[in-house]
Formats: sequence, C-alpha cells, structure tokens
Amino acid sequence: MGAQQRVYKQRIRSAQGMKKIFKAQEMIAAARISKAHARVRATTPYAEAITTAIGSVATNSDEIDHPFLQSKRDVNGRVGILLITSDRGMAGAYSPNAIRGAEQLANLLRDQGKTPVMYVVGRKGDSYYRFRNREPHRSWTPYKEAELPELGREIAKVVTEDLLSEDLEQHIDELYVVGTQFESRFQQRTKSVRLVPMGVVDADPGQVRPSYPLYAFTPDPDTVMEQLIPRYVEARIINILLQSMASEHASRQRAMKTATDNAETQINKFTRLANSARQAEITQEITEIVGGADALSGSGRSER
Amino acid sequence: MSTLEVTFVTADRTVWSGRAAQVVVPAADGSMGILPQMQPTLAVLDRGLVRIIAESGEVTERDVVGGFVSVDSDVVTIAVDEAVRVGGSGR
Repeated sequence: MGAQQRVYKQRIRSAQGMKKIFKAQEMIAAARISKAHARVRATTPYAEAITTAIGSVATNSDEIDHPFLQSKRDVNGRVGILLITSDRGMAGAYSPNAIRGAEQLANLLRDQGKTPVMYVVGRKGDSYYRFRNREPHRSWTPYKEAELPELGREIAKVVTEDLLSEDLEQHIDELYVVGTQFESRFQQRTKSVRLVPMGVVDADPGQVRPSYPLYAFTPDPDTVMEQLIPRYVEARIINILLQSMASEHASRQRAMKTATDNAETQINKFTRLANSARQAEITQEITEIVGGADALSGSGRSER
Repeated sequence: MSTLEVTFVTADRTVWSGRAAQVVVPAADGSMGILPQMQPTLAVLDRGLVRIIAESGEVTERDVVGGFVSVDSDVVTIAVDEAVRVGGSGR
C-alpha cells in the first residue's frame, strides 16, 4: 500500500473515532435536557409564589423599607455581575455567548463610571478572566449538576453579604445576573437581568401591571420583608442556574450533532480520496508494466 | 360557601394543590387558621405543622421549616423551604 493511501486511511480512522465520541456526547446531552428542564419546571411554582408576594409588597413600598428595594443605593460605584458559564467545553457557543453578554454589560457599566465586580460560576468563565489577568472576585468551579440548588444558596448568601456590607472595600451597589434562558430545546437566549435593586425587573414593556391587594402583614411588614427578600434572591439565582444548566445541555446536543455530521462528511471525503489514490496507484503500476513490456519488445530481443 | 384555592409548594416541587375548606399554618407569632373570605394577608412562617383540610374533609399534614404564606381573595399560597410528612422522613 502506498504512502498516500496510508495517510488517508489514518485520517478516516481518526474521523471515525471522533464521530463515535461526538455521537455519544450528543446522546448523553439529549437525555439530560429533559431531566434538567423538569427541574426548572419544578422550581417555577415557588418562584411564582415569591414573585407575586414580593410584587404585592413592593406596591406598598411607601411603608416598607429594605436596602434591596431602594433604587438609589450608590455608595462606591462597585457593581456585581454574576456570570454563569459551563464547566466543560463541547457546548458550542453557550459559554462564549454568556461571557460576551457579561463583557457588554461590564463595558456599559464602565461607561457609566462604575466598577464591575465579577462573580463567576463555571470553569469556562473563570479561565476566560484568569487568562486575561482580570481575576474574578469570586468563582465557583467546578460545580456538580445535582448540587445546583445548594450552589445557588451559597451564591445567594455571598452576594447578599456583599450587598449589605458596610465595608467600602466589600460593598457592591447593584447586582446583575448574566445567564442563559431555556426557552425550548431549540432556543436558548443569553439574558442579563438586574436583581438588586429590585424594581420592575420582570415587567415586559406593553404588559399591564397586575394590581395587588392591600395586605395585612404578620407579624409586621419589616419582618416579612426581611424573610422574603433573601428567599427571592435565592430563588431567582437557583432558577437561572437550573435554566442555564438545561441550556448548556441543549447547546451541547446541537453542537455535537453538527460535529457528528462534520465527521461524517470528513469520512466521506477521505474515503473518496483514498479510493482515487488507490486507483492512481493501480493505474501507475499498469502503465509501468505495459511500458516495460513495450520497451522490451521494441529492443528486438526475444529473451530476457 | 366558598372554598380556598390552595397551592402548597417547596423550593423544588408542589406538595399539594386543590380546593380546601380550611388551612392552618404556623405563623411566626403563633398558629394561624385560614378560612374562606379572610382578608389579604402575607405572613412569615416558623417551624411547625401545616394542616390542610380539603373540601372532602380529608386532612393533609406536613412538618415545615420556614417560609411564607399569602392569602388573597381565597387564593392561598404556602411556600416553604422544607416539608416532610408528619411522623416520617419520607416525602
């Protein structure tokens, strides 16, 4: 076998090996999407309940005061950005998109004269900032899929502490979250939302603001606020973590599907090339034999 | 008589939902009973027992830890951090 053919055969084999890996990754991701999506759905009733409760309280905000509700809480111009990325690669544009969203937001904040402070979840985002010598303020990496609610609680605790801190070095004025919203298996969207100060976070333009009843608070409004707001922050962070996880799987499935298709194309291409190389070799051999025979017969000798 | 529309959720699942005649929750300042036509209330919950008496008279009880309850025109939403079956560790 000729050298040329050997090279092609080798390429085919390696493409076949990669195709198997991609295919396996694709199937794993596909199996995990529905599970991750079910977990997102499971947290929705709680999130809705707490959002309604907060909304009703916020409409009575003339009598209620909580640091997270004040729209003017500029102290030192530090603004927290919680960025959610994946731990592993092979997920297409999932992590880069989230990072780009965070960078855009950070630039916008810098233009406003604020200092972005990064809180990063996931190795991809962490290494992005480390590589550029802008180490994130806090990073959680690596994380486990099964422990996302615990992770969310821990993150909520850390950011709440920083938001309420009196220490100018530690205090952050606002908190944004950059994550990926899972809309469907085929569509995910990178989303930046402001979590603190709270306000019309969820109100889509054009939507009528629901009216809330005047509540009686037990034991008293301040205590209720103190209990509700940390829970709200927690619920929102956990929800966006779970949605991002589902999006990561969906994104990985799509990326791996494309990779499998590409590997197949590659295999086809190299099979063709290997065939023509073999054919060329055969043709050359025949030409040599025929040419040799012709040369012998032309010399007039009947014996070798 | 009107009934209560109850949704009882924890952070990651729905425990009970449906129509109930009466709900008892452990509010922070003492046990609180909720009957139809109650005024809109938002209450913080403490550790204790949530008892839901369904229209049929069937009683559902759960031990809960922390959370809140909101009552608004006979729609009751109970959201807690943790809920376990009374007398057992199962869900």
